[in-house]
Amino acid sequence: MSSTLSAAWARRLNTLQLVLVGIFLLAPVVWMVLASFKQSSDVIAYPPTLLFTPTIENYRALIETTPFLSYAINSIIVTVGSTTLGIVFGVPAAFVISWTRVSWPAVLTLAARMVPGALFLLPWYILFRNLGMIGSYWPLILSHAVITMPIVIWILLPYFDGIPRSIYEAAQVDGCSVTRVLWRIALPLVGSGVAIAAILAFVFSWNFFLFVLVLSTSDTKTMIAASFNFVGEGSTRWGVLMAVATLIALPPLMLAMVVQRWLVAGLTLGAVKG
Amino acid sequence: MASIRLRNIVKTFGGPNVISNLSLDIDDREFVVFVGPSGCGKSTLLRIIAGLEPVTEGDVFIGEQRVNTLPAARRNIAMVFQDYALYPHMTVYGNMAFALELRGLSKAEIDTRVRRAATMLDIEPYLDRRPKALSGGQRQRVAMGRAIVRDPQAFLFDEPLSNLDARLRGQVRAEIKALSQQLKTTMIFVTHDQVEAMTMADRIVVLHAGVIQQYDTPEQVYEKPANQFVAGFIGSPTMNFLPVRLQGDSVVLAGDGRALSLGDEHRGRLRSAGGEATLGVRPEHLVLCNPGDGIAASIKLVEPLGSDTMVHFDLAGTAAIARVDPATKPKVGETIALRMAPSRVHMFDVKSGQVLA
Repeated sequence: MSSTLSAAWARRLNTLQLVLVGIFLLAPVVWMVLASFKQSSDVIAYPPTLLFTPTIENYRALIETTPFLSYAINSIIVTVGSTTLGIVFGVPAAFVISWTRVSWPAVLTLAARMVPGALFLLPWYILFRNLGMIGSYWPLILSHAVITMPIVIWILLPYFDGIPRSIYEAAQVDGCSVTRVLWRIALPLVGSGVAIAAILAFVFSWNFFLFVLVLSTSDTKTMIAASFNFVGEGSTRWGVLMAVATLIALPPLMLAMVVQRWLVAGLTLGAVKG
Repeated sequence: MASIRLRNIVKTFGGPNVISNLSLDIDDREFVVFVGPSGCGKSTLLRIIAGLEPVTEGDVFIGEQRVNTLPAARRNIAMVFQDYALYPHMTVYGNMAFALELRGLSKAEIDTRVRRAATMLDIEPYLDRRPKALSGGQRQRVAMGRAIVRDPQAFLFDEPLSNLDARLRGQVRAEIKALSQQLKTTMIFVTHDQVEAMTMADRIVVLHAGVIQQYDTPEQVYEKPANQFVAGFIGSPTMNFLPVRLQGDSVVLAGDGRALSLGDEHRGRLRSAGGEATLGVRPEHLVLCNPGDGIAASIKLVEPLGSDTMVHFDLAGTAAIARVDPATKPKVGETIALRMAPSRVHMFDVKSGQVLA
């Protein structure tokens, strides 16, 4: 009887914890979305107003006063380009690291990801300028590949490591070259991992601010860099800023909702593999 | 079909040698079993032949071709792995057809070969299934089928029966043996199970610490072991080893000085070895006799197996076993007399363990 009671209480406490954490994590997102539908005066009102007359004025201003569609297309080009590069180079890299069991390249890619991004900016800017690439999408795609590739490698490593070695060896004995082992045997077995890696790479690239801020021009500016236009020295257009932030957050949010089940499985695979 | 020759093979993984200066000739169409305890290098040797492991030194020949630098993909050998290593995303048909597709064979030819092998192995009803929908025994057959369809120069088996239960193991063992007689292809089979080695092989390679201890027919390995390791490894229960010495003109047990009647031949061997040796005798060659005709021993444990009864006793401080007729109904605590036929007794050098000729 008492154990049933304590189990019920434990369940309630669990739920309470989840609700508290959920409120803590979701409050800024809810505030952002609500603020995007408020008049400018309501956005900065103190105490914050929960009841207000919703307006789409901020969205209208965003679309009418800025080349928002161009920014969105730029974002898609840069994100899809860098995610593709990350997959094209990251998948074989993860496979070879797993195959050879030489781990330093994986550590190196992680180190490259861990150092402050600002460290890369000046050398890259000079390099891309000397190559005449500033103004094109390439500096943005290539710089974002530094974000996407480590993600792809580190997500896929446990997937490749999880394939029994003897399956690779059986394929070799059957007549496969290393490339063919990857293409015909390993890749079909890590399909869900590739999907997870692609989605996470997409989200990280989509949201990455620093590189596009410095390496983009007015023609290649992405949504996230364009959002900075609404932050002024004297005044900030909070309503429009929240509208653009909401639109920026939408694609990753939708992707995360679609694949949330795989996402959790994919992120914890290395941990539960033993 | 091809012969396989290994010449002065050395293999190291950075530390001590796993295989030390090993040379071996396997004839065309021969069924050779590599047997030895864990870590003896038998699987490494198989992987070297397969091309999955490079040699540190030495040469590997398949047929007349030196294959040291030839990748596994181009050696035209087939291998059955311990865990079967079936491709989980392919059907049984896909698994069996895969190597043939890589070779660029026509679909009709692939279909003919796959169905012929499937019929031979009785797996035709499962051709459309994925490996996860098969039992262990069925997966084992698919792994063999995948090897058979390729018509390779040699089949390599890496402990393929170790994941099967005892009943299935016996059945598949017989099937592989029958298959080898049917296919008439060179086969190398790795196992740590001496029963598999004895029942399947034309010749057995007994390995220990990366060195071939003996390479001979099962009968010779059993009847005439080259050294104490082979004598102890092959045979179940294991051979009894008793320290003996020469006392005057008699061979006596070193533990208690009781004399054994073994004849001139063994006396000569002992003399040449400096008067001390290790006597080896298999449990079935210790025969019950009348008191006074043999050595007396007190029974410590009786293990009735149905067909035989194992009698455990102590001889001059050394534990020993005799395999006796169950009709004798031996009892614990009873004193029995045992004798050994001199022709069934082996003498080993105390230091080197080599058989005394």
